[in-house]
Amino acid sequence: MTKAAIRTEGLTKRYGSAAVLNDLNLEVPVGEVLGYLGPNGAGKTTTIRLLLGLIHPSAGSSTIFGLDSQRQAVEAHRRLAYVPGEANLWPSLTGAETLHLLGQVQGQVDVPYRDELIERFDLDPNKKVRAYSKGNRQKLILIAGLMSRPDLLLLDEPTSGLDPLMEQAFRHSVFEAKERGQTVFLSSHILSEVEALCDRVGILRNGVLVDMGTLAEMRHLSSLSIEATFDGSVPDLARVPGVSAVTVDGRVVRCQVLGAVEPLLKVLANSGVHELLSREPSLEELFLAHYGSGDHGSEAVPTRDD
Amino acid sequence: MTTDSASQLGAPELRRPSVVGPGDITSLVPAGGNPTRIVRRQTARKALRSGALWGLVFGLYVALQASTYASQYKTPASRLALARSLSSSSGLNALVGPAHDLQTVGGFTTWKCLGILTVLGAVWALMLSTKLMRGEEDAGRWELFLAGQTTPRRAVAQALSGLGAGVVVLFGLTALVTVAIGRTHPVHLSSSSAVFFALAVTSGAAMFMAGGALCSQLAASRRQATAYAGTALGLFFALRMVADSTAGLNWLLWATPLGWVEQLQPFTNPRPAVLILIFGLSATMAGLTVTLAGARDLGGSTLPDRSSAKARTSLLTGNVGLTARLIRPTMLGWWAAVAAFGFLLGMVAKQAARSLEASSSAQKILLRLGGRGAEVKAYLGISFLIIAVFVVLISAGQITAGRREEATGRLEHFLVRPVSRVRWMAGRLGVAAAAVALGGALAGTFAWLGAASQHTSVSFSSLLGAGLNTVPAAVCLLGIGALAWGLAPRVASYAVYGVLAWAFLIELLAGIAISNHWLLDTSIFHQFTAAPVQAPNWSSGGAMIATGVVAAALGTVAFAHRDLAGE
Repeated sequence: MTKAAIRTEGLTKRYGSAAVLNDLNLEVPVGEVLGYLGPNGAGKTTTIRLLLGLIHPSAGSSTIFGLDSQRQAVEAHRRLAYVPGEANLWPSLTGAETLHLLGQVQGQVDVPYRDELIERFDLDPNKKVRAYSKGNRQKLILIAGLMSRPDLLLLDEPTSGLDPLMEQAFRHSVFEAKERGQTVFLSSHILSEVEALCDRVGILRNGVLVDMGTLAEMRHLSSLSIEATFDGSVPDLARVPGVSAVTVDGRVVRCQVLGAVEPLLKVLANSGVHELLSREPSLEELFLAHYGSGDHGSEAVPTRDD
Repeated sequence: MTTDSASQLGAPELRRPSVVGPGDITSLVPAGGNPTRIVRRQTARKALRSGALWGLVFGLYVALQASTYASQYKTPASRLALARSLSSSSGLNALVGPAHDLQTVGGFTTWKCLGILTVLGAVWALMLSTKLMRGEEDAGRWELFLAGQTTPRRAVAQALSGLGAGVVVLFGLTALVTVAIGRTHPVHLSSSSAVFFALAVTSGAAMFMAGGALCSQLAASRRQATAYAGTALGLFFALRMVADSTAGLNWLLWATPLGWVEQLQPFTNPRPAVLILIFGLSATMAGLTVTLAGARDLGGSTLPDRSSAKARTSLLTGNVGLTARLIRPTMLGWWAAVAAFGFLLGMVAKQAARSLEASSSAQKILLRLGGRGAEVKAYLGISFLIIAVFVVLISAGQITAGRREEATGRLEHFLVRPVSRVRWMAGRLGVAAAAVALGGALAGTFAWLGAASQHTSVSFSSLLGAGLNTVPAAVCLLGIGALAWGLAPRVASYAVYGVLAWAFLIELLAGIAISNHWLLDTSIFHQFTAAPVQAPNWSSGGAMIATGVVAAALGTVAFAHRDLAGE
């Protein structure tokens, strides 16, 4: 059996009686880019900190390339790099000194690639960390993660504070990593970023993985948005199987279709449709569909900024 | 129909909040308190707590010294003998200030308390001041205040008044306890002179509170601000020591704020006019602080700060090298302090010993310690106790600094790479232990150099041994601190300073109120032998080191098995 880059079995983390992460079963194959979505407090950062062995699970287990995240953390860490969303670094060191130090600790650095990344992210490495803006500190920590070309990249909100140009540079770097066969676990709030980069997406809610799959699979399971403009009178679509959320605005009807569209098409064909628009839901719409009820799953638990 | 195109195309509708216009503020209610004074409240709350704690320590120390003297030296003859033996010692004068009217309770209390408590108060004040001003700014919390209904100048003025409240509480409690002990028999000190004494003892704190605030505006970080203020304190202390070591240099006292405090001469020859200088300096520094706060950028510094530098990577090969690099500026300060202190002790040892020799009461102590002819060594033995305090403080500081790496999240940069927690902790504690050992060795070496410069016949090995004799207590505290860090990270700093404060308390009360050896053994200083007059007890030292190592090992195991803990 091929070893997965990441595998979790029943991974659970509780603080007192509150479960921040509940029975997470996840497998990320080698070479995949996985998007990990969820609102604040859903358990994203907790998952990553458990994978890194920074915190201990209340139940369950996780492995990185078959190595136990807790007991074989050092061996597992040789093969991964972690980029946190908040770059707390040593203020008195310069950017170059920070990269040198973190490269030495990691044990391997692709020096030409590091220099290329410094140029790509337009970072002045001679500045002291305390003189960097938030965005520049984030660039530094990104370069530190990417420069060792690890087998697995664990990215936790890696582009917070980056401007749109640097966001493009980041996407370019993730594509490069993917082409090289590196695995990427990307926790992000930027849905367009996840949509552009990820092979599969997992959606977390209240510490529970509520949806997991490729975007195509998720879209298949979700409603299709339809807008139809009629020449004459508007038919009653509410009774058509699979159709919901029908709204009428003059001769324009908008609705959602879940499952087969054939019954709707039959009705529309017999009703003099002048114009028909259909659109698959965006990731944002899929995401909001999970949280649109207004329950955003925030939890009052003593954890970091999940 | 008012829904937007996205929702028309099927996206789940976003709930729109009901529109609240500028005039529609019926749902807003006062949050309580005055929003323009929030900085004062925040700063005062922390300063008051700290000031109250140290006010009690100051008061207790003064009360103990006054009552011990009054009860142990009951006759004029015994007091005169003590006064003669101590007042002619330039070595002791240099250390704690000159002795005046030692045949009175007030004179003795001033001599025993003023110099020591002034320095202690100054250290407390500058640390608190830079923490609550620059530390808050570094942490980003200052930014939140400044985004509210205040300006940098107003916020700094409020913070200063909050810090001032801490000094007032320090003074108030010291005065309260001093007045109370002054009313008891046989101490008998007038209330007005007791209040003036308390004012003198805490005036150093007032100046360095303002000094720390000023340095917070000059420097680019809290660490830098503390280093500036600490360097100033060190220089002023050295100047005061030089001024007090030789009669011809007494005029130098006017060149150092610590000398001004000494010139107040509470109980013996009160000179309230000197307070004008002290309050004047404090007010000037406070005014300058407020002015500079409005003239610089948030997060910036008044003094030029190098924002760029050429990479120096020789030490940056891992945790040990990084720790050495990070603690280097602080440690250079500590090492310079213990080396200078050791040198001065060695230099004045011969003269100080002569004055001890002339005292019959001191002779009794000398006989107990090492017999006749060992006066120089006896003096050095007693003085090395003070060096031990310096060295032990290095340990406490290192535990706090290490814990800060975890609390700020910087530790994670190591632990997400191939570095185990045990390796990281062992490296961190190893560097701290080396820093402590070097501190002890430097103290001994420089004490010998000072003694040799005056042709005092004390061997290098005995003074190096005396310096290293301070190390076991420091290693023991390091281990206890590591244990606290492993088990209860968020209270580790409090725990390590608590153990230190407990040890002080036990040593203060030893022989007066405590004789139970089990209780005495809980002090990390109690196993300390007065080397070089007594041979260092290496078996006892070894036991303390072993205790420290075992505690550190247990702490490391606990650290490896718990979740990382933020602030």
